[in-house]
Amino acid sequence: MKIGGSYELALPPARAYTVLQDPSILARCMPGCDHLNRIGETAEGHVAYEMKMKMAISSVQGLFAGTVKLADPNEPTSFRLIVEGSGKVGFMKGEGVLTFVANGTGTDVRYEGEVNVGGVIAGVGQRLLDVTAKHIIKKFFGKVAAAIGEME
Amino acid sequence: MIPQNFAYSSPNSLEAALDQLADGSAKVLAGGMSLIPLMKLRLASPESLVDLRRVPGLKYIREENGVLHIGAMTTHYEVESSVLVRATCPLLAEAAASIGDVQVRNAGTIGGSVAHADPAADYPASLLALEASVTLASKAGERTLSLEDFLVDTMTTALEPGEIVREVTVGVERNDVGTAYAKMLQPASGFAIVGVAARIGTGFARIGVTGLASKAYRARNVEALLEGGADAAAAAAVIAEGIDANSDLHASADYRRHLATVYAARAIRQAISRAR
Amino acid sequence: MSTTIATTEKLVGKSIRRREDPRLITGTATYVDDLKLPGMHHACILRSPHAAAKIRSLDISAAQSHPGVVAVFTGPDVAGVGPVPCGASLPGLRVPHHAILATDRVYYVGHAVAVVVATDRYVAADAIDLIEVDYEPTAAVADPEKALEPGAPAVHPEWPDNVSFTYHQEGGEPDKAFAEAEVVVKQRITSQRLVPMPMETRGCVAEYHTAEKSLTLWSSTQIPHLLRTLVGQMLGLSENRVRVITPEVGGGFGCKLNVYAEEALAGFVAMKIGKPVKWIESRRENFLCTIHGRGHVDYYEIAARRDGTVLGLRLKLIQDLGAYQQLLTPAIPTLSVLMMPGLYKFRNISADIIGVFTNCVPTDAYRGAGRPEATHGVERMMDLLAAELNMDPAEIRLKNFIGNDEFPYATATGLSYDSGDYAAPLKKALDMVNYHALREDQRKAREQGRLMGIGISTYGEICAFGPSPATPAGGWESATVKIDPSGKVTVLTGASPHGQGEETTFAQIAADELGVSIDDVIVFHGDTAIVQYGIGTFGSRGTAVGGAALFFALKDLKAKIKKFGEMMLESDDITFSGGVCTCNKTGNTVSLAQIAGMSYRAMRLPVNEEPGMQATRFWEPPNFAFPFGAHIVVTEIDRETGHVEVSRYVAVDDCGNIINPLLVAGQVHGGVAQGLGQSLWEQAVYDDTGQLITGELMDYAVPKATSMPWIETGHTVTPSPVNPLGVKGVGEAGTIGCSPAVVNSVVDALSPLGVRHIDMPMTPEKVWKILQGERI
Repeated sequence: MKIGGSYELALPPARAYTVLQDPSILARCMPGCDHLNRIGETAEGHVAYEMKMKMAISSVQGLFAGTVKLADPNEPTSFRLIVEGSGKVGFMKGEGVLTFVANGTGTDVRYEGEVNVGGVIAGVGQRLLDVTAKHIIKKFFGKVAAAIGEME
Repeated sequence: MIPQNFAYSSPNSLEAALDQLADGSAKVLAGGMSLIPLMKLRLASPESLVDLRRVPGLKYIREENGVLHIGAMTTHYEVESSVLVRATCPLLAEAAASIGDVQVRNAGTIGGSVAHADPAADYPASLLALEASVTLASKAGERTLSLEDFLVDTMTTALEPGEIVREVTVGVERNDVGTAYAKMLQPASGFAIVGVAARIGTGFARIGVTGLASKAYRARNVEALLEGGADAAAAAAVIAEGIDANSDLHASADYRRHLATVYAARAIRQAISRAR
Repeated sequence: MSTTIATTEKLVGKSIRRREDPRLITGTATYVDDLKLPGMHHACILRSPHAAAKIRSLDISAAQSHPGVVAVFTGPDVAGVGPVPCGASLPGLRVPHHAILATDRVYYVGHAVAVVVATDRYVAADAIDLIEVDYEPTAAVADPEKALEPGAPAVHPEWPDNVSFTYHQEGGEPDKAFAEAEVVVKQRITSQRLVPMPMETRGCVAEYHTAEKSLTLWSSTQIPHLLRTLVGQMLGLSENRVRVITPEVGGGFGCKLNVYAEEALAGFVAMKIGKPVKWIESRRENFLCTIHGRGHVDYYEIAARRDGTVLGLRLKLIQDLGAYQQLLTPAIPTLSVLMMPGLYKFRNISADIIGVFTNCVPTDAYRGAGRPEATHGVERMMDLLAAELNMDPAEIRLKNFIGNDEFPYATATGLSYDSGDYAAPLKKALDMVNYHALREDQRKAREQGRLMGIGISTYGEICAFGPSPATPAGGWESATVKIDPSGKVTVLTGASPHGQGEETTFAQIAADELGVSIDDVIVFHGDTAIVQYGIGTFGSRGTAVGGAALFFALKDLKAKIKKFGEMMLESDDITFSGGVCTCNKTGNTVSLAQIAGMSYRAMRLPVNEEPGMQATRFWEPPNFAFPFGAHIVVTEIDRETGHVEVSRYVAVDDCGNIINPLLVAGQVHGGVAQGLGQSLWEQAVYDDTGQLITGELMDYAVPKATSMPWIETGHTVTPSPVNPLGVKGVGEAGTIGCSPAVVNSVVDALSPLGVRHIDMPMTPEKVWKILQGERI
């Protein structure tokens, strides 16, 4: 499933870029994320973190364990974010490029990528997959904006 | 297709139910037409369920001073077949009748439906057009919200932990208003690919939309055009403007947007034809 | 000797309500899941969430120590159990070893990895979640055409081209026909994967009797005897120590014409734990692990003269096999080739099948099994040709039908069509819809800007499987008729009906032949310890082969009854009628009960006769039977939404003689429902990574009562000379005739827009996109 969109953050691109690469911010803002532990760099040179995530939308809940990888850094214009996780309800892989474009005093963070899911969520969740992905992304950026608000 | 172990209780008073729900760990069972399948697939694994089925005073339809009060545990079939609802709020009966199949309508409840906030559920389109309110109850007391404020996002509502939907209220339909609900049915699930509810009177229009976006919403742009005298097609044409439309196997975002204009025009025309 | 068997009022031909229905309607039927045996345990299976992965490690310790869990078995534990059998053979066929549990790799989502056995079903399901599997996902391929591309992921690493087999068949001189043709029309036509979806999923209960070394297996199957033979082989058990019982079977549609890993696995578990074990497939498993149907990508070419005379047909058929060969997987597309000429005089035929492995659940027989695909192809091609030549679709068919005087007709694919009057059902259907007036209505509708379509399909199907040399496991069928000392009749049929109503139709046949009340006849099936070996119910063979076997058993028995009658009446001039032997001279009578009583008491016996009143026949059919018919479908398309409304459905079928019109109508209705399902709604969709994304009834749209049009049925009757009942079979007819008629109708509706073809399912969005001018 293709995903794409943009979100406005009240920070200049260079700061927005740093914030979105900050593992503590990512951990705080990824919905249901417990923690991110740096596990080093992958063979491809990606910065990798181990993550545990409890996704919950309404009564639907899933525990995912996996990795978050930051790749192709091109500060301050873009980088690639790869999130992979698996749990009893299935597995997912989201991969997207985030692009930072100045917009007045703030930044338009544009994202474009693809989400693949497997297991039960893929087999029975089609009807709500797209809408759920959007919901999670919206929630993530909402939390990032709030975190930025706190920092300022 | 077997749920994880869970504790089940079926309290026989509202107070006991709210007590058991107070810490926010239990899920409410209010018909189970969405929750039970999720549990069987183990996509939802609540530790405990509080079944509201035996709680007295949650299943009623009554009219008081021009307002229709519907208890949260009133089934879709009870709404659909209620002489009172049909006479005083036909749109609600029409919406209830369009949900799922007979078995679903015999078990599913209005409170359960609005609390689940499925973005393709039939009820919300009509309830939004009817400017419905929901009354929520918890140990801390009660509060009443407009449904519009209650529906936050995809399967996300304003319900706080420990809170339940106790009642849904809608006004008795105005005499000069005609109503209709038109939907394209998803052939497998029976959910709305797109559903539009319309209430049209003289200089008055209310339009609720489901299935199109991350949550059901009121199409105020369409309402304004209609109230300003635009015809059905012209008003319906703007219904998806600015909407990030849903997309799935059954309908792409573009197709959904298009369907919304088609079904909006149909609902509006039918509502107009039904207005006296 | 003037002994006669007089005819009285017959039950055959009457619309008798199904005798099966009271127990089904009142909920008192016993299905596998209703069985409760003392000490019975429950099995639950862990399945792969990946379409392709290596299993790095598997940790079952937490599941093993979960309270209530008795055993956990994984691939290595069951290595001694034989592979899941493929019964079909083709030259050069690659058959992967199909172990009953995966060992080092998984090949499709749903592939069984481990089995947990516990004291109750809930505990078993919980323990499944405690098994940790470390998968290393590998690239998967789910689309058969993509699987054929160079560099595609190999489903089975040992066969990197993903080709399981190729098969060529040719008749006449196809190259010459195409070279000389005045017109050639080509089209790619797909027939999407479908989920057979019986209301009752699969399930089995296995009980091992340690002292006797015997296994009883209750299974929801269409083929109890074949299952017994094959499960016995898989488990290394002597066949006579395996008993298979099919309790009520809640639908099969071909998907239970198979031998599945779980059936052997249940037997294995029962033998290991020494307790009965039950496994019931969940709906989710049914989507993922029970065979799918169809899965064709067909490239057709038709050659003709400009006057509409067809000359040749070419087909390249890409069959999506899935990851393994189930019982008949590779044989199914060969049926498409056999039937590709349809009802027409195609003298020149060429077909190439490529059987392709994909990381999906195997395909196999689903109602029609290869013939709906063939009919869809040839009937679409006839419409495309008609459009190319600006001919009426009815006219082009009538022009090319095999003539009534040409039977038995040898087809270019090597079959011998038994009997037919192919124009008759089409003409009848055209009359029923008042075709010329209907075309006039369509002209007016088009003037009003409406999109109205009229679709015609005719079909021929190969049924009554079949002569044994042409069927993998033998094509005969068996019947026993027993008359008790009290004169009551029991029929044991080797066919194993599961919804077709043979408990009614076979009782009609027996009651007629013996002249007894239908209430005095019971029909019994589906227990290998009680019923003589049989083949089963599939391929529209139950009545045409099983009924014929019954007919011959009854014939033998009637001869014996007469001999007893002659002895007891002391006359060689007697009549057996109405369940009574009457001496034509004296008028003295003896009843069937008296005769039966005498046969068992055996105080006296006719010369050369044994005691008892029982006959068994195994009947080998000399040929297949070939039913045919015509369906006409009127559709109206909503321009705004693309929604297809079937406004009229006419089905005229010729299934030979009709035993019970009510049941024939029911078969046509059910078949049409499934045909409409394929035409408009159903599709098993795998995404690029091999996930089945229509994996539940929330997304997979089966036809519903509320979505069905009114079906007008009609019949012509051309008896089959192949069997003594003159029946041809009707179980699959509705499905086979349906889809081309619906697609032809929708294409006809859209033809003013230049539309030539639409693949199924014709969902509203697909049609809407076509209306927007998109090429699909």
